[in-house]
Order: sequence, then C-alpha cells, then structure tokens
Amino acid sequence: MFKTTKSIVQLVILTATCLVISACTNSCSQKTSSTDTTLHFPLASTIKGMDPIQSNSTYSSRVVSQIFTPLFEYHYLKRPYELVPQAAESMPEASADGLVHTIKIRKGMKFHNNDCFENGEGREVKASDFIYSWKRLADPDNRANGFWIFDGKIKGLNEWRDAKSKGEADYDTVIEGMKVLDDYTLQITLTKPYYQLYYTLAMEFTAVVPKEAVDKYGEEFLNNPVGSGPYVFTEWVRGSKITLDKNPTFFGQKYPSEGAEGDKEAGLLDDAGQDIPFNDKIIFYEVVESQPLWLNFMKGNYDVAGIPKDNFDAVVVEGELSDDMKGKGIQMSTYLQPDVTYIAFNMKDPILGKNDKLRKAIAMAYDSATSIDKFYNGRGVKAHSPIAPGIDAYDPEFKNPYVEFDQSKAKQMLKDAGFPDGKGAPVLEYATTSSSTARQMAEYFKQNMEAVGLKIQIASVSWPQLQAKIKDAKAQMWGIAWLADYPDAENFLQLLYGPNQAPGPNGANFNNKKFNKLYEQASALPPGEERTAVYQKMRDIFVEEMPWVPNVHRKGYSLRHGWIKNYKPHAIKANSLKYFKVDTGKRSELKAKL
Amino acid sequence: MKVASISSTAIDTKSKQDELEKGTSLWADAASRMKKKPVAVVSFWFVAFYLGLALLCALDLIFTSYSVVNNDIAYQAPTWAHWFGTDVFGRDVLARAAHGTVTSLTVGFFGAGIAMFIGTFFGAIGGYFGGKIDDLVVWLYTTVDTIPGILLVVSFSFVMGPSLKTVCLAIGLTAWVGHCRIIRGEYIKHRDQDYVQGAAALGAGHIRRIFLHILPNVFHLILINFSLGFVGAIKSEVILSFLGLGVEPGTPSWGVMINDAKQELFRGVWWGLAAATIFMFFLVLAVNLFNSELRDALDPKLKNK
Repeated sequence: MFKTTKSIVQLVILTATCLVISACTNSCSQKTSSTDTTLHFPLASTIKGMDPIQSNSTYSSRVVSQIFTPLFEYHYLKRPYELVPQAAESMPEASADGLVHTIKIRKGMKFHNNDCFENGEGREVKASDFIYSWKRLADPDNRANGFWIFDGKIKGLNEWRDAKSKGEADYDTVIEGMKVLDDYTLQITLTKPYYQLYYTLAMEFTAVVPKEAVDKYGEEFLNNPVGSGPYVFTEWVRGSKITLDKNPTFFGQKYPSEGAEGDKEAGLLDDAGQDIPFNDKIIFYEVVESQPLWLNFMKGNYDVAGIPKDNFDAVVVEGELSDDMKGKGIQMSTYLQPDVTYIAFNMKDPILGKNDKLRKAIAMAYDSATSIDKFYNGRGVKAHSPIAPGIDAYDPEFKNPYVEFDQSKAKQMLKDAGFPDGKGAPVLEYATTSSSTARQMAEYFKQNMEAVGLKIQIASVSWPQLQAKIKDAKAQMWGIAWLADYPDAENFLQLLYGPNQAPGPNGANFNNKKFNKLYEQASALPPGEERTAVYQKMRDIFVEEMPWVPNVHRKGYSLRHGWIKNYKPHAIKANSLKYFKVDTGKRSELKAKL
Repeated sequence: MKVASISSTAIDTKSKQDELEKGTSLWADAASRMKKKPVAVVSFWFVAFYLGLALLCALDLIFTSYSVVNNDIAYQAPTWAHWFGTDVFGRDVLARAAHGTVTSLTVGFFGAGIAMFIGTFFGAIGGYFGGKIDDLVVWLYTTVDTIPGILLVVSFSFVMGPSLKTVCLAIGLTAWVGHCRIIRGEYIKHRDQDYVQGAAALGAGHIRRIFLHILPNVFHLILINFSLGFVGAIKSEVILSFLGLGVEPGTPSWGVMINDAKQELFRGVWWGLAAATIFMFFLVLAVNLFNSELRDALDPKLKNK
C-alpha cells in the first residue's frame, strides 16, 4: 500500500534526499580515538519511532532493522537478491498446494537484556513470540501501517481482527492460520497461494517483539524498542541522534563466505566466516537538510552519504568520482534502484479514462530523456513499463513505442484522439506538490504538452492533499513514484490490479478484465519462467492501455569513506550495517587529509 | 471675540473670502510640498517607471521572450544576449524578472486595495456607531490579529489553492486589521465634531454622514495606509511564492525565482536570485521612500516646517 517515503514519494524529495545513505555527527567535529569502532550514519529525515509494525519509511526501517530480527533476510552479497534465514533456522517447508508453510526458528536466540524481563536478562525467543508479534500487526487497536502484507492472506487472521475490534477475541484466541507446533516450529496456513509470503517475512513489519516489553512500555514501546537483533537501543535524542550498542547476546551470525561475481576481487569476502556485527556502536543522525549532511560527510563526521542533486556536478565527472574526492579516499557505488517514477492518469476521469489515444499522445509528447538529465542529473534509465530493473520480469531490451518522444507522432495521435492540434480538448489538471523541484517538473510537463497544443493547469497541493486527492479519485493526472518492497514484479503490477482501486494502491483506477485475470493467474504461480511470461503479458496490456506514462528508473549513488569496509549497496533491505567494518587505522590516516 | 462695528464686519468677511479662494486644498498643498523634495521626486519617478514597465509587460509589448523555453541553453551565465543569464528551462531571467513586476504590482494593488476596503468599512461603522457594532468589530479584528499574519495568509492559500487571485484575496483578507484600527479611531474622533453634527441637523442620514462627510476627512490616512499595505502585499507575495503557495507554476514571480535559487546557488547559478532581488529592492525602496514623503506632506502639523 502507499507507504510514506518508501513506496510513493514525491518525485522530488527522493531526488534530493532519498538517495542519501550516509553517516555522521552533528556539526560538532568529532574526536575519534584510534580504537573506537563507532559507525556514524546519517538518516536524511527525522523518524517517528522504532516500532517494527509501524516502520513504513526507509529511514525508520534503517534503525528498526538493526534492533529487530524478522525470520528471513536477503543474502548480503548475492545478486539477484536471494532470501536466506535470519531468525529462522532454515528456509520453510511448503505443502504441495502452496498453502501450508512450516518454519523452524533458531534455538538459543535471546531478546536484548532489558528491565522488562526478570533480572533484566533477555529470555529466549520462542515460536509463540512470532505469533504474538503478527497478532500485534493485525490488531486494529494498533493501526499498524504494515498490516496490508497479511490482509486477507492468512486463514482466520482477518476474522480475528474483526472479532478483536468488537472485543470478542484477544491475544490468547487461536488463529487457524498461525499455529505453534512446538517451541521452535510454527506453521502458517494461507487462504490462497501467496508466493510473496516469504518476502513479507523478511520485512521489518514481521520482526519478533517480546510481549514483556510491549506490556511494560505500552504506547511508549516505539521509544523503547526491545528486540533480538545485532544492536541494542541505548538512547534517542529526538530530532538529533539515536545511539545503538552492540548486542552482547546476539545469536552469532557469520559474515557470508560466498558472494556475487567480482565480490572477492573487491575485497568483500575478506572477512568471510567471521562473527558479525563488527562495530561496537552505531550512531544515527537525523539530518533533514541535504547540505549540512553533505558538509558533515566531507568533514569525515559521517561515514556514508548520498549525493545532493546540486552538488552532483562537482562530485561526479563523466560518470566517475572526481579526482579530488578520490584523493580523499572516498569511494562511490552506483546501482539501479528497483523503482519507477511515472505520471498516472485517473482512468475514472471522463476525458482521460475513455480515450487511450489521448493518453498515448500525452506519453509521446513527453520528453523524458531531457527530464532525466534536468531533474536527476542523468541518474537513471528511461522506464518503458512499470517493472523495474533487478526484478524478474524486467527486460532491458523492451521498448514501449508510446514513450518514444516524437512531437509529430504525438500530434498525429492527438488528431486521432479527436483533438487536432489540441482543439476541443479541455484544460487538463496536473496535480503536484509545492516543493521547488516538483514545481519545476510540473512546469516542464506543461511546456511539453503545450508544444503539441494541450493545455495544462497545474494544481500545487501539499503531500497529504495530493494523497487524499488520489484516494478520492479526484485527481486527473499526477506525478508519483513506487519503490519495490520486495524483488517481485507483483509489487509493481498490483498498482494496476482492478480490485486495488482507490482508496487502495491502484490510484490510476485501472481496471482491465484481462489484466486482472492474468494477475490472479500469476499470484497462484511459483516464481519461475511461467510466471515471468504472465507478468510480461500484463506488461503488454499496460502498453496498449497506457494508464501511466512511465518515466524513469532511478539510479542510486552512494558514497563512503575509505575506512568503511565490506560496503555493498542493497536496494531493498536496510539491515546491512551489521556487515560494515570500520578500519580504525585507515580512518586516522584518511581523516588527516579531510 | 472682538467688538466691531456692523460695517467693518462686512468688509472683513469679504477679505476673508478672498483669502479662502486663493487658499490651497490639503491635496494641492501636499503636492506642492512634495515637488520641492528631491527624494520624493526621484522615488515618484521610480514608482512610475515600474508602473510603466508593468503596463508594457502586461500588454506583451516588451520582454516578450519571458516564456520561451530552450532547454539547450539552461543555466547559461549572463551574456549580452541574456543580461541576467537563463534559468532551468533556458528562459531569459531578465525578461522573467521584468514580468515578475506585473505579478507584484497586481498583488500590491489588489491585495492592499481589498485590505483598505475591508479595513475602512469595518473601522468606519465600528467607530461611527460605537456600542454593540463597535464591540463586534473590535472582537473581529482582535481575533484576526491574534493569529500570526503570515500563518493566516498561508492557510488561506492552502485552502484556495495557488493562483494570482488567491494571493490577492489571501493578503487582502488578512492585512486589514492595522488599518481598521486607525480608521475606527478617526471615526470616533470625528463623529461628534461640529461639521458632522451640522450635517445631521440638516437631515443627513448615517450612510451619508459616514461616507460623504467623514470619509473625505480621513482619506489621506487611507492613502498612506494603502501605500504601506502595497509594500507589505508585494513582500507577502514573494514569501508565499517562495513557500510554493503563491502564483500558479509558470507565472513569472520574484518569489518563485528566489525559491529556485535556494537550490541553484549550490551549482553556482546566482543570476536568478540577483535579478529578482534587484527588481524587488528598488521597487520596495522607492515605494517606501515615496510613502514616507507622502505622510509628511499630508500631515497638517508639519505644514509650516
């Protein structure tokens, strides 16, 4: 569903801030002793709290994922992304019909030491703790923003949720689809095949929390998180910094000994088989403005950073890090993000919804290549369909004929649509947010449309207003983005599935019978060639109908100082900090040069 | 009173009448005093220049290239062809700044105009009638006044959505309080004066007394407040546009140019900011100086200085 920063996103905020993944302190310059292995990591936003069931932004999940453990995670080094057990002992066993999944959890895994436990010592994590945590996610009183991952999927869970809201059920009520077989085994029964289940069990929403802590802290649990992850929450100075310390009772995960091609040469396997986490402490800094973040990174106060849009030209020269930056020992990684930005049409709109030629004319009149240069510093590849790179059904060779910028063809199409040179076409409204870059993007769209004779009115509204407009199906056209929650094309195609119409995530209100049927067909198929073929058929229907103008798949650029070892960007999961290693010797040497 | 003969009184009266005919009105007197002050004259011509510029721009007679997009020359530094360089879409910054004058003056006139109208109306009826009506007027403006001005303007813009009309209305509907207070005070002072009583004795109704008798006597204050409000409205427009709540995207505005500059400065693009600031600086300075001279000229206490 629409998740504040993670899923949607003003095109803008992401450009300037989302790319930022970095580390470091407030303006005070830092004194680091030669043995101090603290990781300084900036978050490009403030966060609301650290309760896993509410962690729907990239920033809060960055913190939450260090403290809590879901059942699975993604292999740190392998690409394409591969699920591996984390709190689980092994990958689950599924029944032949794909409905029953049995999962073994690790033995001896303990919660963090905390006052909520007897003697302050964290007890062992049991299978029942997971069931408790998932009931918390479904509990209507908690208004968890991650419930959508289980909604309607698990046998008896929605019924429990309804009964709970009426006061007819509580946490002791047994749910048919979530059973504890013994202390270390649990079983999930689905209402229908749901092959994204394992991905959702790698999301922070499903991480295990101790009942004792929730009972003790109540609503304050989000400020006093207790989990079983590699780091323990120590202190949060609101709006400033969050301190986590290494968990002395962590269950002993090892650094992976296999990686993707080239990882060995890049030194990413030097620490293979060693105990993680490597660093004693993590300090997260909540820095909203991109310039202070950038300046602190350049001072060596933060360990990692993204590149602000307006500093880009000074940092990256012809696709390479500038010599000045290289001289300081700074390193850069680039990667394609599994996301897509697009202009959506409201298919319920009487003008746009009924005229596919008009939608195609708009798509052909929009020069997305120039927009990528102008607004993303060329950081991205042109999008031809909703399916993003790094996802099974993505085909880099695929060309959508309607997103090839061609004004004369657009004019012809507009004529076919019944509006020669735009004559007779009403003024169309393009909704956007009021930040500088969003406004410039809207102006750019307007200019492109005016060039073929279409008149556009720009409605600048606030982000919540835009979301409300889309939810009420009152917007005509708007620019928006989607960032994958898991590496499966389903996560993008569900944005166009009929029953998901507004107020659901299908803001474009696209409702095509053939498309819906294929979607249902695909959801019953396990990952594999057959399913990929179905996804590609859906993509072709998308192209014929053009309910969106796909614009760009953005490219992530992340920078780090030379003293951070084992760094590999991960576009989906935020828990990679436990693999990082601060090289203290190198830090003293490099910091002297800054 | 002096004792005088009947005949001499007649002669005196006649000579006094002569004097009166030769005398000057408040306005003519103010104009003649202002002409003697160089600051007043220079600032007047500056304001006139801006008015002329705005008029020519509004009629699309000069700087017609303000909306011509050319993405190939985006962010070009100042050259002879583009004195203030080009913006993100390769549009001429000087032309956009000049067209920004139209937006600013429109908002200045209508924003301050609406505020004057509302302020004068409420101030007049409150001050004139007193009692319950006055209580209501005082309650109304005190309530509006308790909300920080810019927040009120911002909330109006949020509700109505950005457009030039909204900006004028938002400013007009919020900026009338100070003026209302002054006018109310004046009406309290004037309502019992002899000339008003005289008008009442001759049968003039309330409306006639308020608008035909007292209003002309407080009109100089409206004029001064208008020019003060004019500057305030221009500044508010810039702030609103800077916050993204101002004019519709695409309309040239100094606030929008300054907003763009916030990011552009990091890539060394200073010309957008420079053009907008220079245009705004001279307009606001000229109106303020003119304003201050006007106030002195219209102040009867300073008449003989």
